[in-house]
Amino acid sequence: MDFTLSPDQELLRDTGRALVREHCPASLVRAYAEDPSVADDLTARLSEFAGLVAGPAVDLCLFLEEMGAALVPGPFVPTVAAFAPIVAAVGANDVFESVAAGEATGTVWSPSPVELHAPAGDRVEFVAIAVEGGDICVTDQFELAPLEVFDLSRPQFDAKVFDAKVFDAKVTGDSGTIGHGSYAALYRATVAFSAELIGTTRWMFETTLEYVKTREQFGRPIGSFQALQHRLADMSLLYERAWSSVYWAAMAIDADDDEQHRAVHVAKSSASEAARHIAGEAVQMHGGIGVTWDHDLHLYMRRAFMSEEVLGTTAWHRARLADLVLQEGGQHE
Amino acid sequence: MHLAWGEEEERFRAELGAFLDAHAPAEAIGRGMEPETHGGIPLWAREWQATLFDHGWLIPSYPPELGGRNATDVQTLVYFEELAARGIPRALHFPGHAIVAPSLLEFGTDAQRELVPAAIRGDTVWCIGMSEPGAGSDLAAMRTRATLDGDHFVVNGQKVWTSYAMWSQMCMLYVRTGDTDSKARGISVLILDMTTPGIDIRPLRQSAGGTDFAEVFFTDVVVPKENLIGEMNDGWRVTMGSLAHERAGLWLEWTGALDHVFRRTVDEARRVGALEDEVVRYRLMALYEEVGGLRALGYKGFASYEKSGAAPEHALLKLATSELRKRIAQLTNEIAPSPENRREVLGTFAGTIGGGTSEIQRNAIARVLGLPRGY
Repeated sequence: MDFTLSPDQELLRDTGRALVREHCPASLVRAYAEDPSVADDLTARLSEFAGLVAGPAVDLCLFLEEMGAALVPGPFVPTVAAFAPIVAAVGANDVFESVAAGEATGTVWSPSPVELHAPAGDRVEFVAIAVEGGDICVTDQFELAPLEVFDLSRPQFDAKVFDAKVFDAKVTGDSGTIGHGSYAALYRATVAFSAELIGTTRWMFETTLEYVKTREQFGRPIGSFQALQHRLADMSLLYERAWSSVYWAAMAIDADDDEQHRAVHVAKSSASEAARHIAGEAVQMHGGIGVTWDHDLHLYMRRAFMSEEVLGTTAWHRARLADLVLQEGGQHE
Repeated sequence: MHLAWGEEEERFRAELGAFLDAHAPAEAIGRGMEPETHGGIPLWAREWQATLFDHGWLIPSYPPELGGRNATDVQTLVYFEELAARGIPRALHFPGHAIVAPSLLEFGTDAQRELVPAAIRGDTVWCIGMSEPGAGSDLAAMRTRATLDGDHFVVNGQKVWTSYAMWSQMCMLYVRTGDTDSKARGISVLILDMTTPGIDIRPLRQSAGGTDFAEVFFTDVVVPKENLIGEMNDGWRVTMGSLAHERAGLWLEWTGALDHVFRRTVDEARRVGALEDEVVRYRLMALYEEVGGLRALGYKGFASYEKSGAAPEHALLKLATSELRKRIAQLTNEIAPSPENRREVLGTFAGTIGGGTSEIQRNAIARVLGLPRGY
């Protein structure tokens, strides 16, 4: 178990961070809600990194963490995090290769318990749609019905197949019917979204940390008060534990280790818990400004809440984890 | 970033595994890593510690004459992994090998360093005289005084919460040698023979029933001048050093201990037929996630320790593992109430107090986060 980043991995992370710092300011995220075409230039720049879909999960996660910290809108994240592993699992090789080459975008629609509502569906060429019986259609002939927008930078849709080439593979449905190859797709998608969520959480934590160091009340920075310091310490712990869980899961996937099944559930659940707690504390520590439309915090909270809901709620992941950990006969390690 | 260790590390693990298969006593296997002894260090544990030392498996990173085999940092990590997986403790008293030895190696004279092998092997049991009734978290407020009188110090005062004091031959004693209000600048460290006249040890019975620590009173206790560790009034540096050693050495044992107690919680839930209860399953998994996440965080801490020699993750892990330990015990007794599980709950409270309280850990984390000094 080695958490040391290689020089290439550090470079990848730094490159992603620099790219979104320059090309994805909060103003772009806000403008996207009114006119999604404002992110087309960003999407084009990011497509150069679409090849990550064919590489290790750890590398993909490092890059997506940076996307999450900047709330990158548009089709890039749904494409590399969810669409790519699903099309790979169902054997849609031509589509996968187009995605990896940065030439095609796609999203995924799947129902509960691992739901994804075609995030950024209005900006993609393909949708992978779970249909009756658990089959997956990968199609460019689809119809969208917008859902109520909560995450302003990532609208969601109900998607319906127009005309589809149906691939014989099962991805969703009752947990008992998921085939092995498709499992891997779901694991990779789940850990990828968890990594993005960790980045979003990191922004909320770091922004709050900076705020309490500068905001003064009673003649001193509020971050000097122990009542806040100890809560920030607990936030740090939750964040660090969740971060470690996400990358542990990514490493387990890359190693095709038996641990991956449990580790992915732990990753999603821990990332969600950290996001939820840190979002609430971030608002409280910002005080009044934290509940205004003008402050960016609510943009991040909206993304965090939606990311917690997609690809399985915490309750679902814990129930699945319990099935794996608590098997009879004491096989819980 | 990768999950698996290389061939060399796995060879190291196999060698250790073969040694453990051949030598680990039945009492040690699956016992878990927690140090509570409840009334004395058992003979098997003393012998096991000595056996580990003699085979170079007690502190693998040390040279053979100090109970090791010059292992690398990664090999040391593999060593802890394997012990934790088997629930085998190294030793049931840690001050000698985890605090005294590294402190003497760093700050001691040649003569003082000769005490190190026996301290590690456990032939000499050591205690650490640090906390006082008026100096707990505020360690710099300590008042136990040592007055230099020719070729010796005369010590008067009182220590408390001194773990293992009643079974110790030696004590690493923190004393005030500066002015009364000299705070951290007036502290020195002495090596004290516990058979010296004037020492009164009064064991403290803990709420859980055991007796692992004591009050220690000093009345005109004579300590030779050459027993001073490091410079006069420079003991704070030794204090910080020894606390750091404790933290660096123990975190993997903490997460290993959590694995062990969580397995026991699941067994208890199974025993009372609660494993199919949805609420029980949900709450067990919430704890499982924490245990697994902290283990991963430990590895992340190790990576930063290897890279920079410092790991801020240690304060997080001390805080998190001791707090989680309490909650696991409480859930265990909630699911499967029993006299043993009730006692276990009581036994976990000291973990968030000793070795730096949870509140002191949070203060330390706040420093790491760059927050201004607190009020």
